[in-house]
Amino acid sequence: MESATDKTIFSSYVRKEGLFDEVFKNNGDVKSVYQKLLDLYGSRSIEDYVNLNTKAKSSFFNQGITFQVYGDKQSQEKIFPFDLFPRIIDPKEWEIIEKGAIQRSLALNHFLWDVYHDKKIVKDGIVPIELLSSSPNYLHQMMDVDPPSKIYNHISGTDIIKHSDGNYYVLEDNIRCPSGVSYVICNRTALKRALFGVFNHYKTHTVTNYAENLLNLLESVKPPGVDSPVCVVITPGMFNSAYYEHSYLAKAMGVELVEGRDLFVENDFVYMKTTQGPVRVDVVYRRVDDLFIDPMEFNPDSALGVPGLFAAYRKGNVTIANAPGTGVADDKAIYTYVPEIIKYYLDEEPILKNVHTYHCSRPDELQYVLDHVKELVIKPVDEAGGYGISIGNRLTKDEIEKVKAEVKANPRKYVAQPIMSLSVHPTYIDEKESFEQRHVDLRTFTVLGHDQQFVLKGGLTRVALKEGNLIVNSSQGGGSKDTWVLKQ
Amino acid sequence: MLARVANNLFWMGRYIERAEHVARFMNVNYFSSLDAPNQLSQSRQFVLRSMLFMVGDPVHDESLKLNEPDILYDIGLNPEKNYSIINSIKVARENANSSRDLISTELYESLNKFYHYVMNYPTDTFVKTNLYDFTVNITEMTAVLRGKIRGTLLHDEVYAIIMMGVNIERAIQITRIINTKYNDALMAKGSYGDPIGNSFEWTTLLKCAESYDMMRRLYKKSPNSTSTLEFLLLNGRCPRSFMNCINQVYKHILEIDKKVEYAKCSTAFMVGKIRAEFEFKQIEEIQEDIQGNLNLILNKMFKISENMENEFFHY
Repeated sequence: MESATDKTIFSSYVRKEGLFDEVFKNNGDVKSVYQKLLDLYGSRSIEDYVNLNTKAKSSFFNQGITFQVYGDKQSQEKIFPFDLFPRIIDPKEWEIIEKGAIQRSLALNHFLWDVYHDKKIVKDGIVPIELLSSSPNYLHQMMDVDPPSKIYNHISGTDIIKHSDGNYYVLEDNIRCPSGVSYVICNRTALKRALFGVFNHYKTHTVTNYAENLLNLLESVKPPGVDSPVCVVITPGMFNSAYYEHSYLAKAMGVELVEGRDLFVENDFVYMKTTQGPVRVDVVYRRVDDLFIDPMEFNPDSALGVPGLFAAYRKGNVTIANAPGTGVADDKAIYTYVPEIIKYYLDEEPILKNVHTYHCSRPDELQYVLDHVKELVIKPVDEAGGYGISIGNRLTKDEIEKVKAEVKANPRKYVAQPIMSLSVHPTYIDEKESFEQRHVDLRTFTVLGHDQQFVLKGGLTRVALKEGNLIVNSSQGGGSKDTWVLKQ
Repeated sequence: MLARVANNLFWMGRYIERAEHVARFMNVNYFSSLDAPNQLSQSRQFVLRSMLFMVGDPVHDESLKLNEPDILYDIGLNPEKNYSIINSIKVARENANSSRDLISTELYESLNKFYHYVMNYPTDTFVKTNLYDFTVNITEMTAVLRGKIRGTLLHDEVYAIIMMGVNIERAIQITRIINTKYNDALMAKGSYGDPIGNSFEWTTLLKCAESYDMMRRLYKKSPNSTSTLEFLLLNGRCPRSFMNCINQVYKHILEIDKKVEYAKCSTAFMVGKIRAEFEFKQIEEIQEDIQGNLNLILNKMFKISENMENEFFHY
């Protein structure tokens, strides 16, 4: 009989029919790019692997890369689940992703300029005015404001999936305060610590250059008339769930991590309070939501923001990245127009595909959605973090009726898409002590600067850890994997 | 550097240092009392009272019988007591958390590991069998932290602020420890010659300050009150002495405040004045009224700290 120590880590791996496996072909052969990796991992016993896994976890824990879980008595610190088996993207596929991500970000940037200025795209009948006027993320305060270098979405997180047809599709654009990039770097560090040997067999692009490039691009969008800009990262504070990322980025860029109370505005210039008196701030990389950045202009109860910041911004004395009001371009209703938006502004065909989307705001499409709830994913237009999503084939009859009623009552609030089958990747499952198929997506990070763009070669592969689950967000129990983009 | 962050780093330094002194005081007093030469010094009640006096929670009721596990728990691991070691480490880490972008990953990782070690330390074993293990580990880990502060940070304003915190706290804790042991010596008198001057408590005091061996090397005699106080208060070469602390504080304040002429209300001026006073102080002057003078020193250190808040940490 085989004992647990004899079992190799893939001996009980099961491939399900109809799922696109990133590592194995349909006939069970290993894809060539993964062959070496599988040989290296496959020679290890489960026990070995469990050992390494435990070490990697304690490395995260000791570095304080954790989030808080609030219990009855005391809050507990947990690490984000991390898988030691990396995902590999070959250079040809990556080229498509990278070009596609830049194309989308540039097109959305043009779109933002347009909707906050002449609204040509509306006048030309491409995007209906109701989509803007009914969007809670459209900030009228941004009308006719010219952000430095005409850039709005300096940092974009594009969520991309691979469907069972083997093609990449964009699922979502995140151009408000996309997070997760620090985990890309932590995952790499943890994997290097645990399994440095495997890196000898693959030529992988680095991900540690993100902060350097980010700072470069942030400095390139400085307000006019500033020679060497002072950049800061603004955070809601240490109790924010992404605080680790904020502090990591500030440290890696070598700039100050400030809170709202560290800044003040005088004569429409922004200053931070230092031990040596006030120091002028030129570029603010903000990780605070639109409505909280300035209590004088937006939510008056916000203690996180800086009174007068928006006025300084409007005067062109400070750059805010991302610009306020970008949320109007990344909600799920605008998403469906992105192919048209790309054609309109760039006169190019979209490089990355969009998932076909039905707008419940259009009567004929609403009817289709109501008739096909079972085959569709129905999403609220303006929620982030995977909340409020219903997946048709998971619903009971009663639930379907509930969804129908809800959609009928608020058609503008919902869009629907065919159920996309996210590709699966072998992932180590703690409870089972073995590898199993789990659905994954990929969040890429694109940075726009003054006449220059940067896409981090890598990205955050998010894993839905519950069997069969398609929602990968960390707030819904998702984990992540290191992602290797191979050199040509 | 941001004023808020400077404030946090200053207190991180202070709390790391505080944890160390409390741990060492517990350790040395408890274990040296086990074979102390006179009965009072050997008494467990005497030692527990001495510990509470040191952390600033003295027991005035002489008939009260203290419960050893309770007192050890309070000082070591009770999160409800703000003088406890666990609390110092918690606050130190909280302060580090809010300035994580400025300190090195290495320093943060050590402090974080230290925090988890203390948070997960089993209370039961601590009060029953592991007082030695726990307190020794605290002193070791704080030494590691000091090493990381020194060895992995840029020696700039950030470093200077942390070191100001460390040295101000050290001066305060050393002074408190001297005060406590002086108080003990008054009660547990020696058996020959000058009963207070020759008390066993002076040896304990030196050990509490990790200065016993070096003091013997310098004076080549058994410690008495005069030599011990001179060594711990006025000897600038003894790293734990008040004199050395104030020298360090002076050195670091010049790093933060680079003006050539100091305003009379500035911290730099204040520190320089205290330093000049003690540079030419004789131990006999202090001995005229030991407790009075120790309190004066404490007040001066509190003033420096207060002044720093107004001058640098205003946000």
